[in-house]
Amino acid sequence: MGHIQFQQVSKRFPNGQEALRSVSLNFAAGSMTFLTGHSGAGKSTFLRLLLCLERPSRGQILVNEVNVSALSARRLPHYRQNLGAVFQDHHLLADRSVFDNVAIPLRVSGMLERDIGRRVRAALTRVELLSKERQLPASLSTGEQQRVGIARAVACRPKILLADEPTGNLDPKLSRDIMYLFRQFNQVGTTVIIASHDHDLIESMGERVIELRDGAVIRDDDPAGGVAIPPSAPAYQADD
Amino acid sequence: MALFGARKPRDPWPRPRRQLTSWLRDHRRSAAETLGFVSRRFGTSLLVWLLVGIALALPAGLYLARENLISVGAAWEGRPGLSVYFQLDAEPASVKALARQLDSLASIERVDQVAPEQALKDFQGFAGVAEAIEIIGRNPLPASLRAVLAPEAAVGDLEGAARLARKAAGVEEVVVEKTWLERLLDLSDLVTRLALILGGLFGLGAVLITATSVRLAIESRLEEVRVLKLVGATEAQIRRPFLYFGAFYGLGGALVAAMLIALALLVIEPPLTRLTASYEADLKAEGFDPMFLGILLGVGLFLGMAGARLAARARLRSLDVA
Repeated sequence: MGHIQFQQVSKRFPNGQEALRSVSLNFAAGSMTFLTGHSGAGKSTFLRLLLCLERPSRGQILVNEVNVSALSARRLPHYRQNLGAVFQDHHLLADRSVFDNVAIPLRVSGMLERDIGRRVRAALTRVELLSKERQLPASLSTGEQQRVGIARAVACRPKILLADEPTGNLDPKLSRDIMYLFRQFNQVGTTVIIASHDHDLIESMGERVIELRDGAVIRDDDPAGGVAIPPSAPAYQADD
Repeated sequence: MALFGARKPRDPWPRPRRQLTSWLRDHRRSAAETLGFVSRRFGTSLLVWLLVGIALALPAGLYLARENLISVGAAWEGRPGLSVYFQLDAEPASVKALARQLDSLASIERVDQVAPEQALKDFQGFAGVAEAIEIIGRNPLPASLRAVLAPEAAVGDLEGAARLARKAAGVEEVVVEKTWLERLLDLSDLVTRLALILGGLFGLGAVLITATSVRLAIESRLEEVRVLKLVGATEAQIRRPFLYFGAFYGLGGALVAAMLIALALLVIEPPLTRLTASYEADLKAEGFDPMFLGILLGVGLFLGMAGARLAARARLRSLDVA
């Protein structure tokens, strides 16, 4: 679970701006990819399309062979429950404790409160913030807030983890820690796509890098070699 | 199967089968959270309750007034009817004949005959009457009939009976006793229509008040709504806390309305008692009972939730996430 295909996806906004131009990309289940390019190159649009926050103007986006850009409003929530998303401005709720923030997606999914407690603590342990579960986000540092956002994104064990500039306002050391954290999640089978303009950091990670410019792919380097997934590869496994 | 060729991928994101318990849990959480939110902003909530309460109190009060007018009409001794007074020398046989004739009409429930002797006996109870009659030296009272309108008949049917009576032999005068009752019925009709119009307008007002308040609540929690959308909450889940908002506002408003009406009844009861006492009737304001309270709360709940739905539909659909 977690195979993503972009098939000639274009996105034109009502103001005429062309954010993506016929982008075709393949992301194998369990792969890790960095998306780079200057601001306005289309990185955020790419992630928003994948989250179905926008619909493509042309082309289709297949996730596990289902065209997610055509999902009905009723089914969309169930698709999103399988995604984890991290944003630069982390979207934490100021009036909820760290614990309650991380518990949001689990409560949405209808989990029992005692299971929620276990999952939240497991996620907070991964980001080393278990000791601060009772605090409000405002009392945490920026790096810690970002890690709470990551804990929330991974708490429901998503098949796909998306991050938009997750290290945008962090110092290099913290940024590196966060990237290693993403790699840990990737190592347990999660498909990870991270949009970032931090070239040095990205290059040092040794993962696949896709560079966008004016909405088009101008570079697709995979140090692991060649195409990440052959087009005829099994679409998705029966179960996670 | 080849006909349907293309392999249809199995749904990778099945709608999770949610258990009733998880649904109830979700409701309990929404209700608790909303209650917390409402009580944290108690000043604002109180204002909304007062506004909704006032909007509900007026039509509800008019409804009570109408109920009481109708019960006054019913409690009044005797329904509308007509009295037929005969000439002093009228034959008892013609009195009996007219009585039978009137009694056979569908619009007449019953006919009471009052012979001159009976009338005199009834009359002698009044102070001074006995002396007056002694001076006159004979019974000055005629035989009379009183016909009572059947409950299902209209007041207008009395006219037909009156025409019949006027043509009968030995009849001196026919009096149709309907004027004050007609006025009362007209008044209760007027109050009913007034209550309907005001009920519609003020009900709409209550809906708009809760819609505006819920809209404000949504605005103050937009960030939460965005996060919920992002992590895959369904529309129903996102809407739920706001529907509880509407429910709490509507119920609170109905309680305020009930208190306002109770207060109003306390204030108008003394003069009302004096007024009804002067009509020799023992009437009390009625209708303010558990049934009335239940309906009031139900209407408040419904209007509050309608307002919340309106606000949630308008705001949440168009919301841009993240």
